[in-house]
Amino acid sequence: MGSVTGLFTSETRLHPAAREILLDAIDKGWANPAKLHRPSRELANLLSESKAIFGRVLGLKEETISFVGEPTLAFYLGIEGLLQPMGDGRLIYPATSRQEIIAVAQSAPSSLSLDVDLDGCWDIPPALPGDLLVWPSSNGETGAQSLSPENFGGPIFVDATTDPIFSLPGRWSTALFDSRSWSGPAGLGIFAVNVQASWRNPMPHLDHRVVPGGFNPALAIASAVALEADCLDRRNSLTKTVELNTMIRNFLQSEMSDIDIASPLGALPHLLSFSFLYIDAEQLVDRMERRGFSIDSGSACISANLEASHVLAAMGRLTHGNVRIHLYPEHSQSDITSLLQALKEEVTLLRGNA
Amino acid sequence: MGKLCPLPIIDIALAVKDALPGTLFHLESDDPATWADLQAWGRMTGHHVRMIESTTFEIIAQ
Repeated sequence: MGSVTGLFTSETRLHPAAREILLDAIDKGWANPAKLHRPSRELANLLSESKAIFGRVLGLKEETISFVGEPTLAFYLGIEGLLQPMGDGRLIYPATSRQEIIAVAQSAPSSLSLDVDLDGCWDIPPALPGDLLVWPSSNGETGAQSLSPENFGGPIFVDATTDPIFSLPGRWSTALFDSRSWSGPAGLGIFAVNVQASWRNPMPHLDHRVVPGGFNPALAIASAVALEADCLDRRNSLTKTVELNTMIRNFLQSEMSDIDIASPLGALPHLLSFSFLYIDAEQLVDRMERRGFSIDSGSACISANLEASHVLAAMGRLTHGNVRIHLYPEHSQSDITSLLQALKEEVTLLRGNA
Repeated sequence: MGKLCPLPIIDIALAVKDALPGTLFHLESDDPATWADLQAWGRMTGHHVRMIESTTFEIIAQ
């Protein structure tokens, strides 16, 4: 995927396999796939092939899949469409859910935020009539994976926007995937409504389309290519990624002091979140960037709204001095050694200056 | 008051550093991250922490 030696942020470049096909897809993606002209039929065929790839890789029936140009909108579609109109059911979600989910919950008539423990684990309560569960397959900051929601008796919205490689629970009602999570182009979500779900379109609508508004067909075609290629890359590099994750954890625990590792053992191996006591994350991120290492942080001083990560706060983890590392298949042991050495030196310097 | 993270935690850590076990400290901070971080700091260092009001906290050195 090109050089990513110093890149450890969650945002990454488009997968080269998708980049290659995107320009060609733009050339072919101008027609209306619903019409009968030749370019329209060609595009319809390409989209059908893409849908088949999404269905096969994500474990969805093709007829359940809709493309959505604004993934954030699909959180509302997926959740609100399952809430019973005039019903008194609760929208139940873990406190570590994405902000988009919390925003939908805050506008729901009744909601229940579930406490999580230090590892981000949460218990699924028994469903009362009308209850709806939001089930994030994993957490985008810590990589903590959720326990199966099989025993929940009500409808389930699956938030799969963090990682495409997981098994859909046996019972699910609606699901959302984000193209960016497999190095696909931004601006495309895969929204699925289970054929057995009691879902109604919560948006004003005149026809049977699930998603109002359009999407860019070229992005859908390129995204399908990226999904196949990225999943293959990840499968091939899984053992190495687990080893690099272990290497980082061992270094942090043996070489550094006053550190709080938020990512539990068993979390997605390519994500690691940890916090250094007494460290200003803004200074640390800035110093690391100057040394050629791009890292993320969930600390308040880094965020756009100056609020600390609600995920870390809900878990009871240290919110200041936070660092988030995203491992890519291209990262080597030498890349990690350099990163960790730089982190150690900068943390030592900053603590000495405090 | 008026200090942002991690300064309130650094201040209390310096104050508690050489204190005898059982010594009581008060911290006043209006940084919204202070309570979450103070609890995490208490868990990591073993000191007892308690919220008195939204911007007033009590720390007992251990």
